Amino acid sequence: MREVLEGSHAVSEAVRLAKVQVMSAYPITPQTHIVEALSEYCADGRMDARFICVESEHSAMAAVIGAASGGVRTFTASSSQGLALMHELLHWASGARLPIVMAEVNRALGPGWNIWMDQSDSLAQRDTGWIQLYCEDGQEVLDTTLLAYRLAESLNLPVMVVLDAFFLSHTYEPVDVPDQESVDAFLPPFVPRICLDTKNPQAISQMAPPPVYMEMRHNIQLAMERVPETFEGIEKEFQGIFGRSYGAVEAVQCEDADIILILAGTAVSTCRHVISELRAKGEKAGLLKLKMFRPFPKKEMRELLGNAKKIAVIDRNFSFGASGIFAQEIRAALYNSDKRPPVFGYITGLGGRDVTPEILEDIYRMTKEKAEPERESVWVGLQHN
Amino acid sequence: MKEQQKTKEIPLYISRSEISTEGNRTGFWRFVRPGYDEKTAPCSRACPAGEDIARIEMLAGRGMYMAAWETILRENPFPAVCGRVCFHPCERACNRQELDGAVSVNRLERFIGDMAIAEAYALPHPFYGDDRESDRRSAVGKRIAIAGSGPAGLSAAYFLTRLGHQCFVFEAEKEPGGVLRWGIPRYRLPEDILKTEISRILDMGVEIFCGQPLTQDFTDRGKGDFDAVFLACGYGQSLSLHIPGEEYAQDGLQFLHSVRSGKETEIQGTALVIGGGNTAIDVARTLIRLGAEVKILYRRRRQDMPAFAHEVGMAAEEGLEIMELLSPLRIQADKEGYVTEVQKMKVSDMQGRDGRCRSVPDEGKRQNLRASHIFTAIGAEAEQPWFLPPKGTGDILELPFCTFRKGERPLLYGGDLTTTVKSAADAIASGKAAAMALDTCFREGYEAIAEKLEQCRIGDGNSLSMEIYLSGERGKRSGQTVSFGEINTDYFSGMQRRQPRILSPEDRAGDFSETEKSFDRETALAEASRCFNCGICNDCDNCRLFCPEVAIFIDGTRCINYDYCKGCGICVEECPRNAMSLEEEKI
Repeated sequence: MREVLEGSHAVSEAVRLAKVQVMSAYPITPQTHIVEALSEYCADGRMDARFICVESEHSAMAAVIGAASGGVRTFTASSSQGLALMHELLHWASGARLPIVMAEVNRALGPGWNIWMDQSDSLAQRDTGWIQLYCEDGQEVLDTTLLAYRLAESLNLPVMVVLDAFFLSHTYEPVDVPDQESVDAFLPPFVPRICLDTKNPQAISQMAPPPVYMEMRHNIQLAMERVPETFEGIEKEFQGIFGRSYGAVEAVQCEDADIILILAGTAVSTCRHVISELRAKGEKAGLLKLKMFRPFPKKEMRELLGNAKKIAVIDRNFSFGASGIFAQEIRAALYNSDKRPPVFGYITGLGGRDVTPEILEDIYRMTKEKAEPERESVWVGLQHN
Repeated sequence: MKEQQKTKEIPLYISRSEISTEGNRTGFWRFVRPGYDEKTAPCSRACPAGEDIARIEMLAGRGMYMAAWETILRENPFPAVCGRVCFHPCERACNRQELDGAVSVNRLERFIGDMAIAEAYALPHPFYGDDRESDRRSAVGKRIAIAGSGPAGLSAAYFLTRLGHQCFVFEAEKEPGGVLRWGIPRYRLPEDILKTEISRILDMGVEIFCGQPLTQDFTDRGKGDFDAVFLACGYGQSLSLHIPGEEYAQDGLQFLHSVRSGKETEIQGTALVIGGGNTAIDVARTLIRLGAEVKILYRRRRQDMPAFAHEVGMAAEEGLEIMELLSPLRIQADKEGYVTEVQKMKVSDMQGRDGRCRSVPDEGKRQNLRASHIFTAIGAEAEQPWFLPPKGTGDILELPFCTFRKGERPLLYGGDLTTTVKSAADAIASGKAAAMALDTCFREGYEAIAEKLEQCRIGDGNSLSMEIYLSGERGKRSGQTVSFGEINTDYFSGMQRRQPRILSPEDRAGDFSETEKSFDRETALAEASRCFNCGICNDCDNCRLFCPEVAIFIDGTRCINYDYCKGCGICVEECPRNAMSLEEEKI
């Protein structure tokens, strides 16, 4: 049924439909609406689940780790400082190979205190062993959450569903909310491969000395390497039931493009509009939407970007002392490729600043005008210093 | 040990033991030992009748009203009566008052008592144990004569019958009930409620003979017929004012009696009631209902009145005027009525023996008060000196709430005659104490009485428990009384104390309908669930859920597997109500 839903509630609806059994979260703007709705579903009986109230995000992650170790389907949500506080246990979730799904609302880290859109919080967790999937609109948020459970449970890896603060979390859009029967057909009850059994107690996640630790890490990577193929298969099934799919990346008019803009999140929608305007003016512009960030879709990057003359990466994040994180990853992905178009890095839209069509058009022009990037990152639209 | 899982060929190499960890007996690490250790709730310690209030509210909070009622009956045969007239010291002891207000124990008792009447619950039989236990008891049953059918006499009859004895109650009035029937006004205790609770006692086989005033030869009468005598004939004699003209004043107690007999139906004009106790308030509120304009004359301040503040407040709402710090000097009659000369009093710095400030005459300040009727209610005493236990004889054993006189056959004194506080609950306690003392005397001899009753005390208080006397589960509890500091208040969020519906002052002024309504089911459930259930396990299961070793399991009841309990103490800490304890492990 088509409903006008807030982006946050698109997550909540998906979690309800996924019949999650244990949830735990600590409120933080702009994530709170997600778990607020879920706690109501628990209270009024619409969900047969336990909602564990805790005193911090660290405890929230600990609680879902405990529940997932017990073999049930789990959910949590966080943002910014809250996600940072979870950091230690994010490693635990992936190391213990628990298929936890988390909604992560992209928000800036303080100080200066800022509750608005920024990708630094999720990208700071890129090495924790979590799959990361970025979303463009409310429908994609709902669908990605359902896909995330299948993906997580198929490979025993935790998944972060990432959505922009306010631009997505607090925006109402028409969203097709599937019926329970279809969701059940797509997402059967969770059957854990590993779980605690009080009747046959075993030690779990205990000491792993040098002879085995490396193998365990390698196994996580082996599972990560299976993600693209697994995700494709799951998406195909999803498409069959719901008629929608997204792909790890989406290429828009990239085949013959001279310059390809790469970005993630809601700014992709703005960029779609800019590309069609530029095309109307005869410019050979293309767009690559980055949905999956971990594992990084290197193969797709190489295939889709190889024929372009220049690449412009738009980062709403920054790794201090280095560059935009998406740009770093793309440079690294292309380095061992035969075809290596120059990568122009642009930093914009930090801390909730709008990424307007004018800014994207400027970025396109700047890229077109320069033969080679003069700096690793160009900060667009700075007003002071 | 590690294992490689290859389910569906998903790379899943994690650290997990292949064998059970049960071989690792972590219990060896323990140096403190947690255990289930039920304790005494402060309310039950404060209840003269020793009711197991924490358990009663636990059951009521689950909607198990019959079980709650049966739990009251173990210690008190008058739930619906006490739910109305008791001065509920339990609520003043309630730990919850430090959080958001005491649990409304008294109103809940009334609700449970009324529910039993409305649903016609039958008395449990046998009360404890099995039929063999009751057969064994009645086989050695004795015949007991009881003087007085007030709360003390009837309670003695109730408990003695339960203990296998046969009771015969002698009552001076034409109906049983004593002060409950003749002293307490109908708007506080409707007649049908009292009758129903008395009829349950009669149904157990107690015989009551009415219209049998007590004579001095009573204790000798029927020698051979009775094996013991219990005197519980109350305080029937009002204290005298000792002022000139006191004959113009009517006795408050007798007035209440004649109203309850239906003899007084209307009183016009102004009435002056002398006194500050509960009887004075009962007289005043009764007069208001009969149409009089009423003032109370009290020699101390309003806050010094021994009457329950709640009753004084209700009376004031109904239009009672309280004239404090006035002491009557003389009463004179003229053709328009009576004139009382009163002395103005003032509060002195001195404290009386009871800890209250003494009031002394404010010299020279006198005034005259005119009234159509004058009533006195300044206290009462035993009607005859021989109602009371003799002093200074060697065969007297003073017990909690009653006095035991050894002799050719035991003679016990109880009720108002021996209790410190003259209340219905204390009278019930007295009947219970007398029953225990007699039963012990018959079974184990006179010498065993004092120690036996000592064993039946609730915590370190004075109240006695019949359940403990009969070796019920309650006897296993520790005597330690749970304090507020021992409650884990993280588990309790603020929830206001519920109030019953009360008739408006206008509605109750000209009417003897019951002033307060019973709780409805929903309110009773919510109020009962406010109870912390101090010191007793209510199956909240926190201990089991929190145990990090999964060392707590349910096998009928909760058990701790000491092979694995490391003694971390989390279960004890997370028990919201101090029903567990930690003790040092003996090495």
